[in-house]
Amino acid sequence: MTEKEDHRHEMDSQLPEARTEALEDLLVEKGLIDRARIDSLIERFEHDLGPMIGARLVAKAWLEPEFRDRLVADTDQVLQEENVSGAQIEHVEIKANEPGIHNVVVCTLCSCYPWALLGLPPAWYKSPEYRARVVREPRKVLEEMGLSLEAETEIRVWDSSSETRFLVLPERPAGSEHLEIEELAELVTRDSMIGVARAQTP
Amino acid sequence: MEDKTAVNQTLGVHDLGGTSGWGRVPYDPDEKPFHEEWERRVFGMMSQVLRHTAVRPGEFRRALERLAEKDYFAADGYYGRWRSGMEVLLEEYGHFEAGELDTHAGVAHGTGAGYRVSSAVEVDEDELPPDLPAPVPAHRTVRRELDRPSSFQIGDRVVAPGNRAGGHSRLPGYVWGVPGVVVKIHPAEVLPDSTAHNLGERPQHVICVAYKAEDLWGDDAEKGVVVNVDLYENYLRLEAEAQ
Repeated sequence: MTEKEDHRHEMDSQLPEARTEALEDLLVEKGLIDRARIDSLIERFEHDLGPMIGARLVAKAWLEPEFRDRLVADTDQVLQEENVSGAQIEHVEIKANEPGIHNVVVCTLCSCYPWALLGLPPAWYKSPEYRARVVREPRKVLEEMGLSLEAETEIRVWDSSSETRFLVLPERPAGSEHLEIEELAELVTRDSMIGVARAQTP
Repeated sequence: MEDKTAVNQTLGVHDLGGTSGWGRVPYDPDEKPFHEEWERRVFGMMSQVLRHTAVRPGEFRRALERLAEKDYFAADGYYGRWRSGMEVLLEEYGHFEAGELDTHAGVAHGTGAGYRVSSAVEVDEDELPPDLPAPVPAHRTVRRELDRPSSFQIGDRVVAPGNRAGGHSRLPGYVWGVPGVVVKIHPAEVLPDSTAHNLGERPQHVICVAYKAEDLWGDDAEKGVVVNVDLYENYLRLEAEAQ
Protein backbone atom coordinates (compact mmCIF):
# COMPACT_ATOMS: atom_id res chain seq x y z
CA MET A 1 0.00 0.00 0.00
CA THR A 2 1.40 3.42 -0.87
CA GLU A 3 1.59 6.12 1.74
CA LYS A 4 -1.18 8.05 0.00
CA GLU A 5 -3.55 5.10 -0.02
CA ASP A 6 -2.74 4.38 3.59
CA HIS A 7 -3.61 7.96 4.52
CA ARG A 8 -6.90 7.79 2.65
CA HIS A 9 -7.76 4.54 4.37
CA GLU A 10 -7.11 6.17 7.71
CA MET A 11 -9.33 9.12 6.85
CA ASP A 12 -12.17 6.83 5.75
CA SER A 13 -11.98 4.85 8.94
CA GLN A 14 -12.20 8.03 10.94
CA LEU A 15 -15.61 8.81 9.54
CA PRO A 16 -18.14 8.51 12.34
CA GLU A 17 -19.96 5.67 10.58
CA ALA A 18 -16.80 3.55 10.41
CA ARG A 19 -15.64 4.33 13.95
CA THR A 20 -19.08 3.61 15.41
CA GLU A 21 -19.40 0.36 13.48
CA ALA A 22 -15.97 -0.76 14.69
CA LEU A 23 -16.92 0.07 18.27
CA GLU A 24 -20.20 -1.83 18.08
CA ASP A 25 -18.56 -4.86 16.44
CA LEU A 26 -15.82 -5.02 19.05
CA LEU A 27 -18.32 -4.72 21.91
CA VAL A 28 -20.43 -7.53 20.46
CA GLU A 29 -17.34 -9.68 19.84
CA LYS A 30 -16.39 -9.28 23.52
CA GLY A 31 -19.90 -10.12 24.65
CA LEU A 32 -20.35 -6.74 26.34
CA ILE A 33 -23.47 -5.69 24.45
CA ASP A 34 -26.43 -7.26 22.70
CA ARG A 35 -27.45 -5.86 19.31
CA ALA A 36 -31.13 -6.71 19.73
CA ARG A 37 -31.27 -4.60 22.87
CA ILE A 38 -29.70 -1.67 21.02
CA ASP A 39 -32.37 -1.99 18.34
CA SER A 40 -35.22 -2.10 20.83
CA LEU A 41 -33.89 0.88 22.79
CA ILE A 42 -33.66 2.99 19.63
CA GLU A 43 -37.15 1.89 18.63
CA ARG A 44 -38.56 2.91 22.02
CA PHE A 45 -36.88 6.32 22.08
CA GLU A 46 -37.70 7.16 18.48
CA HIS A 47 -41.29 6.00 18.38
CA ASP A 48 -42.79 5.61 21.84
CA LEU A 49 -41.26 8.66 23.52
CA GLY A 50 -41.62 12.21 22.30
CA PRO A 51 -43.09 15.65 22.93
CA MET A 52 -46.63 14.26 22.69
CA ILE A 53 -46.25 13.01 26.28
CA GLY A 54 -45.52 16.47 27.67
CA ALA A 55 -48.03 18.05 25.30
CA ARG A 56 -50.92 15.98 26.66
CA LEU A 57 -50.10 17.11 30.21
CA VAL A 58 -49.99 20.75 29.09
CA ALA A 59 -53.32 20.45 27.25
CA LYS A 60 -54.93 18.84 30.26
CA ALA A 61 -53.56 21.61 32.48
CA TRP A 62 -55.11 24.22 30.15
CA LEU A 63 -58.48 22.51 30.40
CA GLU A 64 -58.55 21.69 34.11
CA PRO A 65 -57.39 24.44 36.50
CA GLU A 66 -57.34 22.08 39.47
CA PHE A 67 -55.08 19.66 37.55
CA ARG A 68 -52.86 22.56 36.52
CA ASP A 69 -52.38 23.67 40.12
CA ARG A 70 -51.45 20.18 41.29
CA LEU A 71 -49.18 19.61 38.30
CA VAL A 72 -47.22 22.75 39.09
CA ALA A 73 -47.18 22.21 42.86
CA ASP A 74 -46.27 18.51 42.92
CA THR A 75 -45.21 17.35 39.50
CA ASP A 76 -43.69 14.03 40.60
CA GLN A 77 -46.91 12.94 42.29
CA VAL A 78 -49.06 13.90 39.28
CA LEU A 79 -46.73 12.15 36.82
CA GLN A 80 -47.07 9.00 38.90
CA GLU A 81 -50.87 9.28 38.87
CA GLU A 82 -50.80 9.85 35.10
CA ASN A 83 -48.54 6.82 34.65
CA VAL A 84 -45.76 8.90 33.10
CA SER A 85 -42.32 7.56 33.99
CA GLY A 86 -38.99 6.75 32.41
CA ALA A 87 -35.50 8.01 31.82
CA GLN A 88 -34.38 11.39 33.06
CA ILE A 89 -37.64 12.36 34.77
CA GLU A 90 -37.10 11.04 38.25
CA HIS A 91 -37.78 14.56 39.55
CA VAL A 92 -39.49 17.19 37.45
CA GLU A 93 -40.60 20.76 38.04
CA ILE A 94 -43.08 22.51 35.78
CA LYS A 95 -42.55 26.23 35.28
CA ALA A 96 -45.72 27.97 34.15
CA ASN A 97 -45.58 30.97 31.84
CA GLU A 98 -48.03 33.74 32.59
CA PRO A 99 -48.53 37.28 31.38
CA GLY A 100 -45.29 39.12 32.18
CA ILE A 101 -43.30 35.96 33.03
CA HIS A 102 -41.52 33.70 30.55
CA ASN A 103 -39.55 30.58 31.51
CA VAL A 104 -36.77 28.92 29.51
CA VAL A 105 -34.73 25.78 30.26
CA VAL A 106 -31.05 24.98 29.66
CA CYS A 107 -28.28 22.76 31.02
CA THR A 108 -25.05 24.75 30.82
CA LEU A 109 -22.75 22.02 32.20
CA CYS A 110 -24.09 19.07 30.21
CA SER A 111 -27.27 18.73 28.14
CA CYS A 112 -29.77 17.43 30.68
CA TYR A 113 -33.33 17.22 29.42
CA PRO A 114 -36.58 15.48 30.48
CA TRP A 115 -36.31 12.56 28.01
CA ALA A 116 -39.44 10.69 29.04
CA LEU A 117 -41.59 13.84 28.66
CA LEU A 118 -40.10 15.28 25.46
CA GLY A 119 -38.14 12.47 23.80
CA LEU A 120 -34.47 12.97 23.01
CA PRO A 121 -33.28 16.56 22.71
CA PRO A 122 -32.60 18.32 19.41
CA ALA A 123 -28.97 19.14 18.58
CA TRP A 124 -29.44 22.89 19.05
CA TYR A 125 -30.38 22.37 22.73
CA LYS A 126 -27.05 20.58 23.22
CA SER A 127 -25.04 23.13 21.20
CA PRO A 128 -22.37 25.24 22.92
CA GLU A 129 -24.04 28.33 21.47
CA TYR A 130 -27.30 27.69 23.32
CA ARG A 131 -25.64 26.47 26.54
CA ALA A 132 -23.28 29.45 26.70
CA ARG A 133 -25.59 32.24 25.64
CA VAL A 134 -29.07 31.60 26.98
CA VAL A 135 -28.00 32.37 30.57
CA ARG A 136 -26.18 35.54 29.53
CA GLU A 137 -28.46 37.08 26.91
CA PRO A 138 -31.71 35.10 26.83
CA ARG A 139 -33.76 37.94 25.35
CA LYS A 140 -31.42 38.22 22.40
CA VAL A 141 -31.12 34.44 21.93
CA LEU A 142 -34.90 33.96 21.99
CA GLU A 143 -35.30 36.85 19.54
CA GLU A 144 -32.82 35.20 17.17
CA MET A 145 -34.78 31.95 17.48
CA GLY A 146 -37.97 33.75 16.51
CA LEU A 147 -39.51 34.51 19.91
CA SER A 148 -39.84 38.22 20.65
CA LEU A 149 -40.80 39.02 24.22
CA GLU A 150 -41.99 42.39 25.43
CA ALA A 151 -39.33 44.40 27.22
CA GLU A 152 -41.37 44.30 30.45
CA THR A 153 -41.65 40.50 30.45
CA GLU A 154 -39.43 38.93 33.10
CA ILE A 155 -37.35 36.02 31.83
CA ARG A 156 -36.65 33.17 34.24
CA VAL A 157 -33.89 30.85 33.07
CA TRP A 158 -33.63 27.40 34.72
CA ASP A 159 -30.17 25.81 34.57
CA SER A 160 -30.58 22.03 35.10
CA SER A 161 -27.52 21.59 37.31
CA SER A 162 -28.90 18.98 39.75
CA GLU A 163 -30.98 15.88 38.98
CA THR A 164 -34.24 17.86 38.75
CA ARG A 165 -35.52 18.33 35.20
CA PHE A 166 -37.69 21.22 34.03
CA LEU A 167 -40.62 21.57 31.66
CA VAL A 168 -42.23 24.86 30.67
CA LEU A 169 -46.03 25.12 30.72
CA PRO A 170 -46.69 27.56 27.88
CA GLU A 171 -49.63 29.97 27.89
CA ARG A 172 -52.79 28.76 26.21
CA PRO A 173 -53.09 30.51 22.86
CA ALA A 174 -55.99 32.83 22.04
CA GLY A 175 -58.68 31.24 19.89
CA SER A 176 -58.26 27.78 21.44
CA GLU A 177 -61.24 28.05 23.82
CA HIS A 178 -63.45 25.61 21.90
CA LEU A 179 -60.83 22.90 21.35
CA GLU A 180 -60.77 19.40 22.83
CA ILE A 181 -57.71 17.95 24.55
CA GLU A 182 -56.34 16.18 21.46
CA GLU A 183 -56.57 19.34 19.35
CA LEU A 184 -55.02 21.42 22.11
CA ALA A 185 -52.14 18.98 22.50
CA GLU A 186 -51.28 19.45 18.83
CA LEU A 187 -50.62 23.14 19.50
CA VAL A 188 -48.04 22.31 22.17
CA THR A 189 -44.69 22.01 20.42
CA ARG A 190 -41.53 20.57 21.91
CA ASP A 191 -39.89 23.99 21.74
CA SER A 192 -42.75 25.66 23.60
CA MET A 193 -42.08 23.24 26.49
CA ILE A 194 -38.35 24.11 26.47
CA GLY A 195 -39.35 27.77 26.47
CA VAL A 196 -37.89 28.95 23.17
CA ALA A 197 -41.25 29.26 21.41
CA ARG A 198 -44.91 29.95 22.16
CA ALA A 199 -47.58 27.29 21.72
CA GLN A 200 -49.00 27.44 18.21
CA THR A 201 -52.24 29.30 17.53
CA PRO A 202 -55.14 27.28 16.13
CA MET B 1 -15.80 42.45 36.62
CA GLU B 2 -13.87 39.33 35.71
CA ASP B 3 -13.85 38.61 32.01
CA LYS B 4 -15.53 35.29 31.28
CA THR B 5 -14.11 34.36 27.92
CA ALA B 6 -14.85 31.36 25.77
CA VAL B 7 -13.87 27.92 27.05
CA ASN B 8 -12.09 29.01 30.17
CA GLN B 9 -9.43 26.39 30.93
CA THR B 10 -9.82 26.89 34.68
CA LEU B 11 -13.48 25.97 34.43
CA GLY B 12 -13.12 23.06 32.04
CA VAL B 13 -14.23 22.46 28.51
CA HIS B 14 -17.83 21.69 29.52
CA ASP B 15 -18.48 24.71 31.75
CA LEU B 16 -19.99 26.87 29.05
CA GLY B 17 -22.58 29.06 30.78
CA GLY B 18 -21.90 32.73 30.05
CA THR B 19 -18.73 32.15 28.01
CA SER B 20 -18.42 34.53 25.07
CA GLY B 21 -17.46 34.24 21.45
CA TRP B 22 -20.31 31.96 20.37
CA GLY B 23 -22.49 32.69 17.36
CA ARG B 24 -26.14 32.05 16.65
CA VAL B 25 -27.81 28.93 18.00
CA PRO B 26 -28.06 26.40 15.13
CA TYR B 27 -31.83 26.35 15.52
CA ASP B 28 -34.18 24.15 13.54
CA PRO B 29 -37.73 23.98 14.95
CA ASP B 30 -38.41 20.69 13.16
CA GLU B 31 -35.16 19.01 14.07
CA LYS B 32 -35.34 15.27 14.72
CA PRO B 33 -33.27 13.65 17.50
CA PHE B 34 -31.03 11.76 15.07
CA HIS B 35 -29.55 12.95 11.79
CA GLU B 36 -27.51 9.86 10.88
CA GLU B 37 -27.85 6.14 11.42
CA TRP B 38 -24.57 5.96 13.39
CA GLU B 39 -25.99 8.44 15.94
CA ARG B 40 -28.81 5.96 16.62
CA ARG B 41 -26.25 3.20 17.19
CA VAL B 42 -24.19 5.34 19.60
CA PHE B 43 -27.31 6.21 21.57
CA GLY B 44 -28.43 2.59 21.60
CA MET B 45 -25.08 1.29 22.85
CA MET B 46 -24.70 3.77 25.69
CA SER B 47 -26.80 2.23 28.45
CA GLN B 48 -25.25 -1.21 27.96
CA VAL B 49 -21.72 0.21 27.92
CA LEU B 50 -22.40 2.20 31.09
CA ARG B 51 -23.43 -0.99 32.87
CA HIS B 52 -19.85 -2.24 32.36
CA THR B 53 -18.17 1.08 33.13
CA ALA B 54 -19.54 4.29 34.68
CA VAL B 55 -22.26 3.11 37.03
CA ARG B 56 -22.05 5.90 39.62
CA PRO B 57 -23.83 9.28 39.32
CA GLY B 58 -21.66 11.82 37.53
CA GLU B 59 -19.04 9.34 36.37
CA PHE B 60 -19.90 9.34 32.67
CA ARG B 61 -20.22 13.12 32.72
CA ARG B 62 -16.78 13.34 34.30
CA ALA B 63 -15.38 11.26 31.44
CA LEU B 64 -16.89 13.71 28.93
CA GLU B 65 -15.50 16.67 30.88
CA ARG B 66 -11.99 15.19 30.62
CA LEU B 67 -12.10 14.92 26.83
CA ALA B 68 -9.78 17.06 24.75
CA GLU B 69 -11.47 20.12 23.24
CA LYS B 70 -11.23 18.48 19.81
CA ASP B 71 -13.28 15.51 21.03
CA TYR B 72 -15.69 17.49 23.22
CA PHE B 73 -16.63 19.85 20.40
CA ALA B 74 -16.36 17.05 17.85
CA ALA B 75 -17.28 17.84 14.29
CA ASP B 76 -19.67 14.89 14.50
CA GLY B 77 -21.53 16.54 17.34
CA TYR B 78 -23.05 15.35 20.55
CA TYR B 79 -23.12 11.66 19.73
CA GLY B 80 -19.47 11.87 18.66
CA ARG B 81 -18.76 13.16 22.17
CA TRP B 82 -20.67 10.23 23.65
CA ARG B 83 -18.71 7.78 21.52
CA SER B 84 -15.43 9.32 22.65
CA GLY B 85 -16.58 9.05 26.27
CA MET B 86 -17.39 5.36 25.81
CA GLU B 87 -14.01 4.68 24.16
CA VAL B 88 -12.20 6.34 27.09
CA LEU B 89 -14.13 4.42 29.74
CA LEU B 90 -13.85 1.05 27.97
CA GLU B 91 -10.06 1.43 28.03
CA GLU B 92 -9.92 2.74 31.59
CA TYR B 93 -12.07 -0.14 32.85
CA GLY B 94 -9.85 -2.61 31.03
CA HIS B 95 -12.43 -3.90 28.54
CA PHE B 96 -10.31 -2.64 25.63
CA GLU B 97 -6.53 -2.62 25.42
CA ALA B 98 -4.99 0.73 24.45
CA GLY B 99 -5.23 0.96 20.66
CA GLU B 100 -7.41 -2.13 20.34
CA LEU B 101 -10.29 -0.24 18.75
CA ASP B 102 -7.89 1.43 16.30
CA THR B 103 -6.61 -2.01 15.31
CA HIS B 104 -10.16 -3.28 14.92
CA ALA B 105 -11.05 -0.24 12.80
CA GLY B 106 -7.96 -0.80 10.67
CA VAL B 107 -6.38 2.58 11.43
CA ALA B 108 -3.06 3.63 12.92
CA HIS B 109 -2.85 3.63 16.69
CA GLY B 110 -3.22 6.97 18.40
CA THR B 111 -6.33 8.22 16.63
CA GLY B 112 -8.86 7.69 19.43
CA ALA B 113 -10.04 10.11 22.11
CA GLY B 114 -8.33 7.93 24.73
CA TYR B 115 -4.95 9.26 23.55
CA ARG B 116 -5.95 12.86 24.25
CA VAL B 117 -8.09 12.57 27.38
CA SER B 118 -6.96 14.13 30.67
CA SER B 119 -6.40 11.60 33.40
CA ALA B 120 -8.90 11.41 36.24
CA VAL B 121 -7.73 13.79 38.96
CA GLU B 122 -7.49 12.68 42.56
CA VAL B 123 -10.03 14.64 44.56
CA ASP B 124 -8.98 15.50 48.10
CA GLU B 125 -11.58 14.06 50.48
CA ASP B 126 -11.00 16.97 52.85
CA GLU B 127 -12.46 19.27 50.20
CA LEU B 128 -15.73 17.33 50.33
CA PRO B 129 -18.37 17.54 53.08
CA PRO B 130 -18.45 14.66 55.60
CA ASP B 131 -20.21 11.47 54.51
CA LEU B 132 -23.01 11.24 57.07
CA PRO B 133 -25.04 8.07 56.73
CA ALA B 134 -28.45 8.17 55.06
CA PRO B 135 -30.50 5.06 54.29
CA VAL B 136 -30.35 3.89 50.67
CA PRO B 137 -33.93 3.60 49.35
CA ALA B 138 -35.20 0.33 47.91
CA HIS B 139 -35.80 1.81 44.45
CA ARG B 140 -33.10 3.40 42.31
CA THR B 141 -32.96 7.13 43.05
CA VAL B 142 -30.40 9.84 43.71
CA ARG B 143 -32.53 11.22 46.54
CA ARG B 144 -31.74 10.46 50.16
CA GLU B 145 -33.60 11.22 53.35
CA LEU B 146 -31.46 13.23 55.76
CA ASP B 147 -32.34 13.42 59.44
CA ARG B 148 -31.39 17.10 59.54
CA PRO B 149 -32.93 20.08 57.81
CA SER B 150 -31.04 22.31 55.40
CA SER B 151 -28.95 24.97 57.11
CA PHE B 152 -30.45 27.56 54.73
CA GLN B 153 -33.87 29.22 54.65
CA ILE B 154 -35.85 30.53 51.74
CA GLY B 155 -34.90 34.18 51.32
CA ASP B 156 -31.30 33.76 52.54
CA ARG B 157 -28.68 35.65 50.56
CA VAL B 158 -25.99 33.14 49.65
CA VAL B 159 -22.81 32.90 47.65
CA ALA B 160 -20.88 29.93 46.21
CA PRO B 161 -17.16 30.66 46.54
CA GLY B 162 -16.26 28.10 43.84
CA ASN B 163 -14.27 24.92 43.67
CA ARG B 164 -10.86 24.95 42.05
CA ALA B 165 -9.98 21.38 43.00
CA GLY B 166 -10.64 20.21 39.47
CA GLY B 167 -13.01 17.30 40.03
CA HIS B 168 -16.58 16.83 38.87
CA SER B 169 -18.95 19.53 40.08
CA ARG B 170 -22.45 20.81 39.43
CA LEU B 171 -21.47 24.34 40.31
CA PRO B 172 -21.27 26.34 37.08
CA GLY B 173 -18.35 28.77 36.96
CA TYR B 174 -20.55 31.72 36.07
CA VAL B 175 -22.09 31.87 39.57
CA TRP B 176 -18.78 31.69 41.51
CA GLY B 177 -18.62 34.52 44.02
CA VAL B 178 -21.93 36.02 42.89
CA PRO B 179 -24.62 36.67 45.53
CA GLY B 180 -28.04 35.09 44.99
CA VAL B 181 -31.22 34.37 46.95
CA VAL B 182 -32.51 30.96 48.07
CA VAL B 183 -35.91 30.40 46.42
CA LYS B 184 -36.48 26.69 47.09
CA ILE B 185 -35.05 23.86 49.16
CA HIS B 186 -35.25 20.42 47.55
CA PRO B 187 -34.80 17.07 49.30
CA ALA B 188 -31.24 15.79 49.58
CA GLU B 189 -29.45 14.05 46.71
CA VAL B 190 -26.19 12.14 46.60
CA LEU B 191 -23.31 14.52 45.83
CA PRO B 192 -22.05 13.99 42.26
CA ASP B 193 -18.75 15.69 43.15
CA SER B 194 -18.13 12.70 45.40
CA THR B 195 -19.88 9.80 43.64
CA ALA B 196 -18.19 10.60 40.31
CA HIS B 197 -14.85 9.96 42.02
CA ASN B 198 -16.02 6.92 44.01
CA LEU B 199 -15.73 8.76 47.34
CA GLY B 200 -19.13 7.92 48.81
CA GLU B 201 -22.60 9.43 48.61
CA ARG B 202 -22.28 12.44 50.96
CA PRO B 203 -25.92 13.49 50.39
CA GLN B 204 -26.70 17.21 50.42
CA HIS B 205 -29.88 19.23 50.34
CA VAL B 206 -30.29 20.87 46.95
CA ILE B 207 -30.88 24.59 47.08
CA CYS B 208 -32.41 26.54 44.21
CA VAL B 209 -30.67 29.92 44.07
CA ALA B 210 -31.99 32.82 41.98
CA TYR B 211 -29.36 35.14 40.50
CA LYS B 212 -30.18 38.52 39.01
CA ALA B 213 -28.62 39.06 35.60
CA GLU B 214 -27.16 42.37 36.83
CA ASP B 215 -25.26 40.55 39.57
CA LEU B 216 -23.97 37.90 37.14
CA TRP B 217 -23.05 40.06 34.16
CA GLY B 218 -22.75 43.62 35.43
CA ASP B 219 -23.49 46.49 33.09
CA ASP B 220 -23.89 44.18 30.07
CA ALA B 221 -26.86 42.41 31.62
CA GLU B 222 -30.23 42.28 29.94
CA LYS B 223 -33.03 43.83 32.00
CA GLY B 224 -35.55 41.69 33.81
CA VAL B 225 -33.67 38.39 33.73
CA VAL B 226 -33.27 35.92 36.62
CA VAL B 227 -31.17 32.76 36.31
CA ASN B 228 -32.12 29.94 38.68
CA VAL B 229 -29.54 27.26 39.50
CA ASP B 230 -29.99 24.15 41.69
CA LEU B 231 -26.91 23.91 43.91
CA TYR B 232 -25.79 21.29 46.42
CA GLU B 233 -25.78 22.76 49.91
CA ASN B 234 -22.04 22.32 50.50
CA TYR B 235 -21.31 24.77 47.66
CA LEU B 236 -22.99 27.62 49.50
CA ARG B 237 -22.23 30.10 52.31
CA LEU B 238 -24.39 32.84 53.72
CA GLU B 239 -23.31 36.00 51.96
CA ALA B 240 -22.79 37.78 55.30
CA GLU B 241 -20.40 35.05 56.48
CA ALA B 242 -18.53 34.69 53.20
CA GLN B 243 -17.17 38.22 53.30
